[in-house]
Amino acid sequence: MAIDLAHARNLMPLLDEGKPDARGWMTRRAAAGLIAAFVIITPILPGNLPIASWVGLGMIYVIVGLSVNVLIGHAGQVSLGHQAFVGVGAFMGALSTTRWGLPFLLSVVVAAASGAIAAILLGVVALRLSGLYLALITLAYGEIAEKVIFNVPAITGGGAGVLVNRPAGFESNVAIAYLCMIFVGLALFLDWRLMKSKAGRAILALRDNEIAARSVGINTTYYKLFAFVLSGALAGIAGALLAPWARSVNAATFDFKLALTFVLMTAVGGLQSRAGIFVASAFFAIFPLAFNQFTIYVLIIGPLLLLLTLIQFPGGMGQQLRPFTNWLTGGPFSMKREHAGISSGGSGGRP
Amino acid sequence: MAVLSVRDLSIRFGGLQALADVNMDVNEWEIVGLIGPNGAGKTTFFNCVMGVYTPTTGSVSYRETPITEMPTHERASLGIGRTFQNIGLVKSVSVMENMLVGQHLKARYSPLAGLFGLPSSFREEKVLKANALEILHFMGLLPYRDERVSSLPYGIQKLTEIAVVLSGDPDMLLLDEPTSGMRPEEAHQFGDLLLKLRSELNLTVLMIEHHVPLVVRVCDHVYCLNFGKLLAAGTPDEIRNHPEVVAAYLGTEE
Amino acid sequence: MLTFIIIGIIQGAVIGLLALGIVLTYKGAKVFNFAQAEFGTIAAFFLVLFTQVISLPYLVGWIVALAATGAVGFLFERVVVRPLFNAPRVTLLVATAGFALLAIALELRIGGTTTQQVPPIAEGVLVRIGTFNVTIQQGITLAIFAVLAVGLNYFFAKTDLGLAVLATSQEPVATELVGIGTKRMSAFIWSFAAVLGGVAGMLQAPDTIFEPGFMTRNFLLLAFTAAVIGGITSLQGAFVGGLLIGVFRQIMNYLDVTYLEEAPILHGIPGIPELAVFVLLVVVLYVRPKGLLGTEA
Repeated sequence: MAIDLAHARNLMPLLDEGKPDARGWMTRRAAAGLIAAFVIITPILPGNLPIASWVGLGMIYVIVGLSVNVLIGHAGQVSLGHQAFVGVGAFMGALSTTRWGLPFLLSVVVAAASGAIAAILLGVVALRLSGLYLALITLAYGEIAEKVIFNVPAITGGGAGVLVNRPAGFESNVAIAYLCMIFVGLALFLDWRLMKSKAGRAILALRDNEIAARSVGINTTYYKLFAFVLSGALAGIAGALLAPWARSVNAATFDFKLALTFVLMTAVGGLQSRAGIFVASAFFAIFPLAFNQFTIYVLIIGPLLLLLTLIQFPGGMGQQLRPFTNWLTGGPFSMKREHAGISSGGSGGRP
Repeated sequence: MAVLSVRDLSIRFGGLQALADVNMDVNEWEIVGLIGPNGAGKTTFFNCVMGVYTPTTGSVSYRETPITEMPTHERASLGIGRTFQNIGLVKSVSVMENMLVGQHLKARYSPLAGLFGLPSSFREEKVLKANALEILHFMGLLPYRDERVSSLPYGIQKLTEIAVVLSGDPDMLLLDEPTSGMRPEEAHQFGDLLLKLRSELNLTVLMIEHHVPLVVRVCDHVYCLNFGKLLAAGTPDEIRNHPEVVAAYLGTEE
Repeated sequence: MLTFIIIGIIQGAVIGLLALGIVLTYKGAKVFNFAQAEFGTIAAFFLVLFTQVISLPYLVGWIVALAATGAVGFLFERVVVRPLFNAPRVTLLVATAGFALLAIALELRIGGTTTQQVPPIAEGVLVRIGTFNVTIQQGITLAIFAVLAVGLNYFFAKTDLGLAVLATSQEPVATELVGIGTKRMSAFIWSFAAVLGGVAGMLQAPDTIFEPGFMTRNFLLLAFTAAVIGGITSLQGAFVGGLLIGVFRQIMNYLDVTYLEEAPILHGIPGIPELAVFVLLVVVLYVRPKGLLGTEA
């Protein structure tokens, strides 16, 4: 079938229909700039509070949230053992710099690759199992990572964990915070480009209806594994940043509670909403640090928010933020997109 | 040359023989109808042709190439497009997004190029969008391009699914009850569309249908299945007067 | 080796009780209840609360704690399970996991991080087998397990209520039509599952380091593996699976301690028994997902 290119060129301007004019874009860009400026400024705000340290962890959690979102949001999988990928990245990153003397950026690559490998192992299982059984396996996988792999003496050198030096020139909390921010920018960019390209669309398609996806030529096996690899790589990067931020890595960090926290911050943030995930992840990282004596309350509020999200507001924060994010990206100030909840695609409903 | 050739196709699910020794030939530029009562095995047949199911015995060939062992996504790349009874679209995104999904095979850039935002991906995406607009225009669906599929009326969703399948540049269409839920006037319009698609786009069509007037009007050949077996095959007139076909339907015509 | 097997049987009893709760909630809601083990921790916390803080007599405290745990299960069914009745099963699963996390958080808040010590029902040794002293507590555990195994078998096969529960899980619409209230059945199932978890937790607590989340941390995956191996739809399978997993794990422990100390690569790896159970779970899910006695995968 030949496209009448002249005619097609006549239709292309339709893509710009309904978009804001020059002034509209200016206002939006100004707003976006203000928000970005606010975020960027936070580590160097004056005062007694270690805000820079908080922002650093917040950024790390945002990367994890985006990583979880690739699996649960985009690909419609389950991941109750995600802390394993972050942990693998953290340990490999730590060992790279501390024991093998690699430069920091290389350690991030190693961590990303390790996270990807850890994830693809699970991905292979996910080709065969789904739903509840997959959820069970991911939980088990996470637990094995915590109890077995991260405790191997060759890796951890004993129960105390691995001590990590910060990369040269980045010793201060402010520097680490900005380093993490750069990687958040990278992660956001990757997620944005992913969903605007064929890989992201393929992943989305296989979530909703795998057979239909195959029928248009999508190799669902390839793209499922692609999602796991990308998710694992992002988690690994987060781990590689976590190691210098915390200055040490030990197995006890990566337990069931952390796995659940990651799931709940992504769900509460709103699956597939970068804005929501950003806010929720940062919140769940910073709140316990900022209100130390109320750490317990976060562990209480977190699950409560999760239950609320699952039962009442499947779109999470993303859905609440939607009017604003729609406007920011050139649309009207309205709730344009209804939100899918966890596992809303594929075989999920009560039999 | 037969575009689609099916020989002795049988499939068993546990104790149920869902298809038994089905033979079919669909020739170039034909519109072939596949009819039969509910549960006769028509969608199962499609699933075997597309590789969703693996038949117990028998073979499927596409333009002389045996495809019985080929995975579904590879069969699609040969030029077969297929629609589903419950609408195989990504319902949570827009029509336009679905049109881009449908062109998955035409996006030649590598997944990583897309992930990192390399220029080649931007260029190709533009071509895909242009192509999508063209087809939507052809189908009269341009006004719906940014609407989320799940918010559209059922009939529009069905047309969208056809548009998405067309966007992949197929040679052959497998349509599973494309007019279900349509009023008679709409089904008639759909018949016009089919004839137009066949002549302007050189398509071959195999269609599962219940709408007898449509089948009679549009199909060159009709196959009738019942309980997994081929009951009769012939021209629409031969089939509609075939005693066994009539008996199978118990005289109920829509 | 005999010692390990005996320990395995005793732990198997606890695991089996949890697995039973898992099978029950699966039959009732077609979901994997990731909070099943945590009901045990909750009950143990109630036990400490009632016997040490409020100073009720031990056995009274035991019963009250059990009732309180059942109430928690009932509440959970009302507040979470019921609203998500038509939601995808994975959503409900995540909700149960979230509830487990919430419970652990509350335990941390109320109990603090200091580990408690729960006394057993009765101190002392019951019998000595080989070199191993079986405590009275452990004997009671086995006895309760055996009684429940026989009793529940009878309950679900012969009594009206039991048959109603099974009917509800298999054919909710039909049973509703016949007049059995599915809502009440659902409430019963979850309360009872919570009670089973509570029994397991309170029997186990004296033998374990009692900290927030200890039942989930130590037993959740074991219980699920047991349920899957026994057959996720089989109540008898839960008992069988529990014993199997308990013994299997201890045998792996024995092998690890005895042989792997000298093995070239493997000797450094901690958690070999856990790893073995994980491998077993994967194998079973790949090869025979419906388990030994189950009817569906």
